[in-house]
Amino acid sequence: MFQYVLRRLLVAVPMLLGAMSIVFFAMRILPGDPCIAMMGDQATTEALADCTKNLGLHRPLAVQYVDYLWRSVQFDFGTSLRHGYPVSEYVARMFPHTLVLVLASAVVAALVGVPIGILSALKRRSPLVDYPLRIFALLGLSMPVFWLGILLLIVFSLHLDIFPLIGGGDLDGVIAMIRSGEVFTYPGDFLAAVGDVLHHLALPAFALGFTLAATVSRLSRSAMLEVISQDYIRTARAKGQIERMVIYKHALRNMMVPLLTIIGIFIAIALTGTVLTETVFTRPGLGKMLVDAIGARDYPLAQGAITTFTMIIIVVNMVVDMLYAFVDPRITIR
Amino acid sequence: MAIARRAGPVDLAVPGRAEETRGAVRQHLRRWLPIGIGALMAAAMIVVAGAAPLIAPLSPSAQFADAVLKGPGAIERHALGTDEYGRDILSRIIWGARISLQVGLASVVFGFVLGVPLGIYAGYRGAWAEVAVMRATDMLMAFPTLLLALIIVTALGGSLINEILAIGIALTPNFVRLARSLTLSIREQDYIMAARAIGTGQLRVMVRHVFPNALYGLVVVATLYIATAIRTEAGLSFLGLGIPPPTPSWGNILSEGRQYIKCCPWITTFSGLAIMLAVLAFNLVGDALRDLLDPRLRGE
Repeated sequence: MFQYVLRRLLVAVPMLLGAMSIVFFAMRILPGDPCIAMMGDQATTEALADCTKNLGLHRPLAVQYVDYLWRSVQFDFGTSLRHGYPVSEYVARMFPHTLVLVLASAVVAALVGVPIGILSALKRRSPLVDYPLRIFALLGLSMPVFWLGILLLIVFSLHLDIFPLIGGGDLDGVIAMIRSGEVFTYPGDFLAAVGDVLHHLALPAFALGFTLAATVSRLSRSAMLEVISQDYIRTARAKGQIERMVIYKHALRNMMVPLLTIIGIFIAIALTGTVLTETVFTRPGLGKMLVDAIGARDYPLAQGAITTFTMIIIVVNMVVDMLYAFVDPRITIR
Repeated sequence: MAIARRAGPVDLAVPGRAEETRGAVRQHLRRWLPIGIGALMAAAMIVVAGAAPLIAPLSPSAQFADAVLKGPGAIERHALGTDEYGRDILSRIIWGARISLQVGLASVVFGFVLGVPLGIYAGYRGAWAEVAVMRATDMLMAFPTLLLALIIVTALGGSLINEILAIGIALTPNFVRLARSLTLSIREQDYIMAARAIGTGQLRVMVRHVFPNALYGLVVVATLYIATAIRTEAGLSFLGLGIPPPTPSWGNILSEGRQYIKCCPWITTFSGLAIMLAVLAFNLVGDALRDLLDPRLRGE
């Protein structure tokens, strides 16, 4: 097991380095001078020289590259050109918003997707259950999250006026109250703030969760189909156990193992989804920060956001691989 | 099993001829209906995109000052309404199909042409070639398709060619992985050993024997990636990083319509519907093809 964990770590490190290199060089092959792009054609030569120096662009590329890698592993992504403060601070402020959205949509996706997948597998080829559910999953898979988001906004925010149109609620306030301990002194205020955050979260989480539920339902369906074709299920049935017990005691528990592996894919899809979801719902978060940074040509900020995304995905995948090895020890032998 | 079946007169409930026919029809329907519907929808999209100049009722860039932000049917000549410049939404969606289809098909072809030879080479040669190709692939796979396409398109700038390149490169690792895994199993087949035994060169084995046998699986998955490519293109255009306006693409029509969702929801509704139907069409065809041709790929 130790060897396996070590091997996974050794694979993850060059992957992370490679992914970060891609980000670095992609940002460097941008046509034109980033300073001109940011400051416009009218900028004076002195201002441009200043900007180039501030960004460290006057140094050789190899030096810039090593510097970027070294700083990135310390979560130092430079200073935002637009906001003027450290990118890592900005990332740290936006991260909870994205995390909350990913978690909430994961809950929606699991609550909707897993039961649909199981039901669909158990009633396989039933025209009344399996087919409609599979069509539902296919629709979810084909529906762009930004379109579903807009439809939800039109109905629930503009027409019914139940949910807010923009914003993410005062999540920063909630976090500050937890940190300062005010959560115990003013529990009423705290609950109100949490309620506000959830109020803002409902539509984005549903939109993203629904599109993810399609993927989850398909994967749970195939996981369940795989499990119920196993010999131990046949044995359980052969010894006369009632079907419900076969499903609860044997099938459900075992289908969760293959489902574990999808957490990695899920996080990758969900994080990409946040880029679009946060943009549609004008919610603060890493995704919206990335889009805004690209729009404003704030390269350090964009670079920081993409590097953070990549780091999260690689680390999550590594953790899932290890988790999977703990759950299914056969993996380590392979 | 076969012996047991032949062994003796077992009283099985033999289905009647009518029931048998019904069963066969049902099975056929189950197999062919999704692919039929998907293929019809995809064909319709191809026809609409190809014949856009003939079918579109108006020019996609023509502005009608008397018809700004009019709803569907409010003015007879604008069946799906107009946008903030008085441009006909139906015509823009019809022309937008061209962009979506061009990007969808061309980026998948690009990813296929780049990824499949690499994957076959890695799978067939093994050793260092495999390690090098697969590590590079893993690195690219760390980025989800949209994120990688977004990085590339940001670096290159938004245009049709750049979007195709960006999505094509983002899809390439998927083709490398699939081609490699198919090659790994094909490599062990007797006919490959036979070809090698008679002295066929490595390149020839890969081109003449491995590639044709992997083709089925690759084409099936390629169909599914057309859906991914169309969705990614729409996402990029929606974020303002794709084809710049005024050229109509479904994503940028939807993005422009976002400002007017309160008064004029038809702009976003119809353009989004077009994206969903196109993605659905290729998903349907890909899914059905996968089930039909290659049961091994069902878990992909």
